[in-house]
Amino acid sequence: MDVFVMLLVNGLAEGALIFLMAAGLSVILGLMGIVNFSHGTMFLWGGYVSVWMYTKTGSFSLSLLLAMVVGFLMGLIFERFFIRPVYGKVTAQILITLGLMIVFTELVRVLWGPTPLAAVRPPHLAGTWVMGSIIISKYRVFLIVIGIVVALGIHALITRTRIGMIIRAGVQSPEMVQALGIDIRRYFSLVFAGGAALAAVGGALYVPLVGSVWSGMGISNQVLAFIVVVIGGMGSFIGSAVGSIFLGLTGALVAWYFPPAAGVVSVLLMALVLAFRPTGLFGLAVKS
Amino acid sequence: MKTPAVIKLVTAGAKDRKQFVAGSAVALIAAAFLLMLPGFAGHATISLFSRIFILAVFGMSYDILRGFTGVINLGHAVFFGSGTYLAGILFLRLDPTPGTLLLAVIVTVVYCSAAAFIMGKIAFRGGGVIACAMITLALGEIVRHLAETWRDVTMGADGLTFPIPYMFRDRLLFYYYALLFLILMVIVLRRFVLSPTGRVLLAIRENEQRAIFLGYNTTTYKMISLQVGGISAGLSGVMFALLTRFANTELLTIQQTLNALLVTIVGGTGTLYGAIVGTAFVQLIQHYLLTLRDVHPVFTRWLLFFGSIYILVVLYMPAGIVGAYRQLADLLSSRNKKKIA
Amino acid sequence: MKPVLKLENISSFIGPFHILQGVSLEVRPGEAVVVLGRNGAGKTTTLRSIMGLVKPAAGVLELEDQSLFGLPSHKIARLGLGYVPEDYGIFNLLSVEENLRLAAWRQDNATKERQEYILQLFPDLKAAYRRLASTLSGGQRQMLSIGRALLNENKVILIDEPSKGLAPIVVEKVCKALLEVKKNTNIILVEQNFNLACAVGDRFYILNDGRTVLDGGIASLAKDRELQKRYLGVVA
Repeated sequence: MDVFVMLLVNGLAEGALIFLMAAGLSVILGLMGIVNFSHGTMFLWGGYVSVWMYTKTGSFSLSLLLAMVVGFLMGLIFERFFIRPVYGKVTAQILITLGLMIVFTELVRVLWGPTPLAAVRPPHLAGTWVMGSIIISKYRVFLIVIGIVVALGIHALITRTRIGMIIRAGVQSPEMVQALGIDIRRYFSLVFAGGAALAAVGGALYVPLVGSVWSGMGISNQVLAFIVVVIGGMGSFIGSAVGSIFLGLTGALVAWYFPPAAGVVSVLLMALVLAFRPTGLFGLAVKS
Repeated sequence: MKTPAVIKLVTAGAKDRKQFVAGSAVALIAAAFLLMLPGFAGHATISLFSRIFILAVFGMSYDILRGFTGVINLGHAVFFGSGTYLAGILFLRLDPTPGTLLLAVIVTVVYCSAAAFIMGKIAFRGGGVIACAMITLALGEIVRHLAETWRDVTMGADGLTFPIPYMFRDRLLFYYYALLFLILMVIVLRRFVLSPTGRVLLAIRENEQRAIFLGYNTTTYKMISLQVGGISAGLSGVMFALLTRFANTELLTIQQTLNALLVTIVGGTGTLYGAIVGTAFVQLIQHYLLTLRDVHPVFTRWLLFFGSIYILVVLYMPAGIVGAYRQLADLLSSRNKKKIA
Repeated sequence: MKPVLKLENISSFIGPFHILQGVSLEVRPGEAVVVLGRNGAGKTTTLRSIMGLVKPAAGVLELEDQSLFGLPSHKIARLGLGYVPEDYGIFNLLSVEENLRLAAWRQDNATKERQEYILQLFPDLKAAYRRLASTLSGGQRQMLSIGRALLNENKVILIDEPSKGLAPIVVEKVCKALLEVKKNTNIILVEQNFNLACAVGDRFYILNDGRTVLDGGIASLAKDRELQKRYLGVVA
């Protein structure tokens, strides 16, 4: 029982973090038909600027806020200057976002050095709750709560607001949205930057969990987010939520019962899903 | 009725022949230069060029996928790095003899063939360039992760140092081996892209939907392309082992894949030779920038330049060096024709 | 009289293909113009070029005194052009109500009145008001699409083959609706259904191989069997 609860909490917390990245990726993919290969770089920058801010000010909320702002601005700049010139050219988009990934990952090494930096959990979120034989990390519960809040928030945004309406319409036909007199490019920028901000917050939240920040963490987490997007169905928001939880829970289970397989379980899952459902669990046709 | 087609064929042949003569002349001059290079170049330059020859094959193997089939494989380093690791591990566990090298080549071919099969089965299933790129990136990262954790065999992040057969230890001699390897691979890969199979691959790159309508099973052809690209990359990895006598997990990272991707786009995709030009260009720039490190420490940050070249090339020179050269040649020849007219 | 919308020698490419090679037409105030022609003559591309969804390469394209040439689609739409594409362009993930709300430029009283009017014109839409548009039939989609174009003070509405794929009884409904629409707005109607074209249109233009080859009053076309056969392949 206690192991079960622990694994559940670990898995869900892990899933919440992956979700913060996968959600943005998925919505961007669905709306704009592009994959941001520099998404992990936003995650990375979120981690670094939050650690920097936390050591400067000691305020966790300020460091999260800074991560969000930096991610948003990076998203805006990337979209405006590097994605926009190559809209509609899938290969060029992949190549250019890969180039951005390289430059901005290296910039992190220039600014903060090549060695990992230590990151701490804020005092009010550190420590554990003990209930009998069950030990629960406060920070992991905090991550789960954040994940739920963000998921509900995005859901409300998509179903209730005008922006959400435009996103749902744009997923089907950006052209027709334009023909109705709506400048969809503005929303492209906004969604792209919003996704980047989410990823950056994900990075800022991830760092205190693992206790350090290093330049390779962007790519390894991006891989998980990609796997989630493929499993969930490319471009499906619900799919990315379910896929994140799925991957988080399996990851926690395997890490506990059969650690050697921890590195490959995500890929095995992806291969299995693709074998039986090539379009993913919540398959949605992707714009080509 | 048939004559016009025949005439077309003959005239096309004449144009091809003219190009062939020009191409052969360039190739001969290049070959003569490269054969004599060790006579006047220093040790470092010889090593640099050996490196260029081997990495050019890696670049060409990528061009088979990206340039000739339109597939973006972000896990391509798996083949290259595995070639290096397999050779290194075998040299270390068995004797560093030519026999072991032969064994390493065979094992690498079999391994890369199997890996390409598995990778293709997964990556070509999701459909689309985007899905393929995402999935291959994930597969590549997982292999790197495995190599890092499997410390007994790979020595993990410390890297693997190993001896090599005696006959390859002389740098000068190895220069010629590497050149020979490049020439052989150019001949083989050129034959492949000019074969009927290669033509189908081009059709897939241009318009996969149409190739499907024409009745081709495009997935099968992509699998073939991945086999050829994967095995070539694996072989260049084996040669790389002989050059560096060292393997680490860097060879399996996305960065290594991007090295190959960059040289093909800098040189010009879908040209095969572009990969050679691109490799030479990128390696020489890297080499030159490193000599500037005393001027400013930023020059040791190769990746900043690497990424910037990448972005600039994609934005402003999508056809690469060979492509730009061809456009220029076309422009000049059409201008000449106008003058004659 | 000064035309509301004027195209002069419009030339458009799709990829490497030169689809429009000189399309000229004008819509005068109060008029419905029918664009006819065989498949592949460039009718849809003409509408898309007006909307800026295909960027015209050369020619004159004016709405009243404003040139539309080279403007982005959303600006063109806001100048007063409504577009009803062949596949209706209805958003499946939105409800009927949301489809209308998305299209509305403003949420003022005039818009609300027009929305009431649309729902009166198409009672089907009123019944399906809260439903997801993916549940609508082809005819209902067509009505929603036309209704959406009526929501704003559009000067001209471009309608692409409204009768295509619809049952005759539905076509009749659409026809009635178009006649109603015509009272307030100018129309460019691309149509293969000759009866519908004659019922709605005042004047016609015939496109062939991306060029305007003929124009005139719709009545003259209705009489001329030879002409119909030559350009339209109609044997009615």
